[in-house]
Amino acid sequence: MSTEQNPKPFHFPPHHSFPPFFTLQPTSSTRASQLSSWSALILSYCAHHRLFSLRFPSALALPLFCNEGLGRRLRAGDVKAVLAWMGSAEGGGRVEWVDGGGKKGVGTGTGEGEILGEEGLTGRCWVFWRRAEEWAAVVEEWVERTGQKGVVLTLYEIGEGEGTAGEEFHGMDGELLRRVLGVVVKRGRAQVFGEGDGLGVKFF
Amino acid sequence: MSAPRRGVGLSAFSRSTITASQYASHGSTLRNTHAASLETQLSVFQSLLHQFSITHAKDIRSNPQFRAEFARMCNAIGVDPLASSHSSKKEGGAGGSWWAQMLGGSVNDFYFEVAVRVVEVCRETRAENGGMIDVAEVRDRVKMGRGVGGGMEVSDDDVHRAVQSLAPLGSGFKILTLGAKQMIRSIPKELNTDQSTVLEAIQVLGFVTVSMLQVNLSWERPRALAVIDDLMADSLVWVDKQADETEYWSPTLIHVRQVE
Repeated sequence: MSTEQNPKPFHFPPHHSFPPFFTLQPTSSTRASQLSSWSALILSYCAHHRLFSLRFPSALALPLFCNEGLGRRLRAGDVKAVLAWMGSAEGGGRVEWVDGGGKKGVGTGTGEGEILGEEGLTGRCWVFWRRAEEWAAVVEEWVERTGQKGVVLTLYEIGEGEGTAGEEFHGMDGELLRRVLGVVVKRGRAQVFGEGDGLGVKFF
Repeated sequence: MSAPRRGVGLSAFSRSTITASQYASHGSTLRNTHAASLETQLSVFQSLLHQFSITHAKDIRSNPQFRAEFARMCNAIGVDPLASSHSSKKEGGAGGSWWAQMLGGSVNDFYFEVAVRVVEVCRETRAENGGMIDVAEVRDRVKMGRGVGGGMEVSDDDVHRAVQSLAPLGSGFKILTLGAKQMIRSIPKELNTDQSTVLEAIQVLGFVTVSMLQVNLSWERPRALAVIDDLMADSLVWVDKQADETEYWSPTLIHVRQVE
């Protein structure tokens, strides 16, 4: 999940070449602006490389969190603080930890990275560069466009099938896909059959 | 003997009164003709300027270089393109609105539009830069505009004039020089000498450290620390703790392409 998929290089915003961007700022107003810049950066990076989730600690090595040229990196504790902010109401609920990972001692402060070290951040988190509701609309639009209403589709067909190769949701993690379909079902626009890997869905 | 003397004396009185009044009347005639000719000149000038602004209104609005030249010409002949009906400072009180009438408000409107964008840009970036932003960056952001096709062709000069046009509103926007850079300060908080010195040093060197300040300015350590703390509290500098010695950078440098 943490591998980069898009061959085209991602254009980092100017913030990424600004050394203090990699130190969480102690002044609260400055930090608020910094957190929202980091959030925007993480979301656009993940969208560019179609990363639906980040797995730690390996994701810490992504160019996203390090600028080799500057010799700067966002430390584990600070990454945790940024992700926690993104998951909060203020950050728009853009991040969610998958299995309680990263929950223990969710970062609040500056300099925690130095104390916690790299092992302080493990687990996997969803990065919602589109929220589940937004994904639901994208999938529905695809079904509509390709005239597959009333057809029973398997989860594999939607996530990995040839028919979705050019779509944004292609390659989406099964767990996230189930969740997205859950939204569609809740809206009364689809029905899910079966169990486990044999899960099928019918849109109407 | 006495008669001529008396005659001289009396006639001298009346003669001098006559001459004086003749001079006076002649003077007033001269003044009148002078005023009349000035009035004619002024009205000719006004109509010519009016003609000019009508013929070139499009250029004035669309071509920043032309606009700057036009504004410079206005300054040279003592007309303030921004003096509008509601500001009484400049060119003989009531004459203030004359300019807006002449140009149909088009030049005024242009600067007010730019001013609105300048205020927006300053607001948007305030949390990041503490209300201090490079004039060049504001210019670029105004040029980019809010959405597709929303940009305006503006020069640094236009941004300067736009900021000046905000002055009567008591908005606290002003332009200050830091090193070689022109900055717009959008928070009406004065910088003290130490603070400006540090910000200037950052503009030149890219960043500062406490020991750099100690060495170069021969400040005591507590003085350097206090200035840095103040600047940090106002979001005017960002700290980088990953350097060998803690470095302090100015957020105004974020959007300038980093060299190296």
